[in-house]
Amino acid sequence: MSEGSGRRPPESYEAAEERLEEIIARLDSGEAGLRETLELCREGRDLVEYCASELDEVGAGLRELRLDELAARLQESQAGASAADEPPA
Amino acid sequence: MEENTARPASGTAPTSPDPKLPGPFAVGRYARKLQEELRKRARVRLIGEVAGMRRSRTQAYFELRDEEGAVPCAIWLNELDPLALPDGAFRDGAQLVVAGGPDYYRGGGQASPSFCFRATHIRPAGEGDLLARLAALRRQLHGEGLFELQKQLYRPRLPHTIGVVTAEGGAARRDLVAGLQRRGWRGTLVWAFTPVQDRHAAPAITGALQDLAALPRTDVIVVARGGGSLADLWAFCDETLCRTTALLRVPVISAVGHESDSTLIDDVAAVACSTPTHAAEAAVPLDCVAARGALPTQSRRLEAAVRAAVGGRSRRLAVLARGPSRALARQRRELNQSARELRAAGERGVRERGAKQERIASLVLERARARGRLAVTRAKATNAQALETVDRGAGQLIERRRRALSRIAVALRAHDPERTLERGYALVEDKTGEPITRADAAREARSLGVRFADGTVAARVEEDR
Repeated sequence: MSEGSGRRPPESYEAAEERLEEIIARLDSGEAGLRETLELCREGRDLVEYCASELDEVGAGLRELRLDELAARLQESQAGASAADEPPA
Repeated sequence: MEENTARPASGTAPTSPDPKLPGPFAVGRYARKLQEELRKRARVRLIGEVAGMRRSRTQAYFELRDEEGAVPCAIWLNELDPLALPDGAFRDGAQLVVAGGPDYYRGGGQASPSFCFRATHIRPAGEGDLLARLAALRRQLHGEGLFELQKQLYRPRLPHTIGVVTAEGGAARRDLVAGLQRRGWRGTLVWAFTPVQDRHAAPAITGALQDLAALPRTDVIVVARGGGSLADLWAFCDETLCRTTALLRVPVISAVGHESDSTLIDDVAAVACSTPTHAAEAAVPLDCVAARGALPTQSRRLEAAVRAAVGGRSRRLAVLARGPSRALARQRRELNQSARELRAAGERGVRERGAKQERIASLVLERARARGRLAVTRAKATNAQALETVDRGAGQLIERRRRALSRIAVALRAHDPERTLERGYALVEDKTGEPITRADAAREARSLGVRFADGTVAARVEEDR
């Protein structure tokens, strides 16, 4: 994960969280070199940002959908799509 | 059943010979024989769910079914009524234990023949009956490894979309939402409302699970239902439902019944919870409220780590930067010390060498003296001998000289003026005692001394010149 700007975004919140814990533990150990410390902190800041955005996404407001309505909508859109595919008479 | 649906060999061709079988018998007689044979079969008890119940004036008809098959049943009302079953016990969806045996109705002029299980006794299925069936099914599914599949699935700590299968009007729905909100989770909920009790429940729940799992963003599915008797919860022990659940690729959290209730879906699900509130916590393991609170702390720790790392290093760097001069000073001190020691050692060395040389010199001197003394001694001895020789020689010489001297003295005395004076001669001297031997000198001197043997008399020259 120490590739600098080439770092991939975390796969999930818990991956980010786990990595963040790792980073903090590593930093707390005082064993990291200066360059590594700066790299870890940069990565840590990105992870904190990612976690915050994830939390924001499930914090905006409860959205309730009904499976039957979703299914009906899906069928409609499929029907619409297949109708559009048909050549005009 | 396969046996019933197996197609008979086509024997329509007129030329086809009869198979080698007994008969042909009159069908009515055969029907009676069939009836007799079936009635001879052992009387048993069956357990299953009631479906399609209807009543005629004399009998009640229903099917008793489970997931593997069904048997048409009939009971005479005059046998049913004395059983005094509680209200609702004998209805579609109810689990019943039915005692009786197979029977065959031969039909009549207008009535069609039919097979049925002739029930003579009916009672609602008790916990014991259901538990026995449940245990058998549990053993079977467990043996097939279906309990483990869901538990191996990845469950996100922070799901975005949660599917929920529950009854639309149930308390489970409200409890689940409340639990999620307490967690601080306000993502997307997709509700799949289904019946949760009776024989329609299991297929509906199975379908809902499959549909929810097919949605692209479903992270986890919760199946929730309030408490009830095992018979009420029986849909959640349905074999098809449980097999479907086990094979889903989305983790399922079951919250069916209360703590003491144990349905088969609890065994196959990824997580089994006792209440919808617990299910909410299992569906969103992350306490979003706490996590939001922790983020600034984590940020601060990161910043503190940077400060500590940079600050600590710069302090160390400063110490290191002072290092060379300090080292130099130390070296200088050490050098001075060494020099002092060296000097002291040198002086000591010189002293020691001096002392040593002195010792050597004194030794040499001593030896030289000793040699000298020896030489002196020897020389003295030699000298003594020489002196002796010399002395001896000298004595002789002295004696000879003394004799010569005597002779000279005698001769000398003969020439001594004193002796001449004794004989009456006088010596004229000037004031300084020099003899005046000539008259001129005496006249010139004017004052003269006339020395006799016994003394000198002053004289004056009277003669003028």
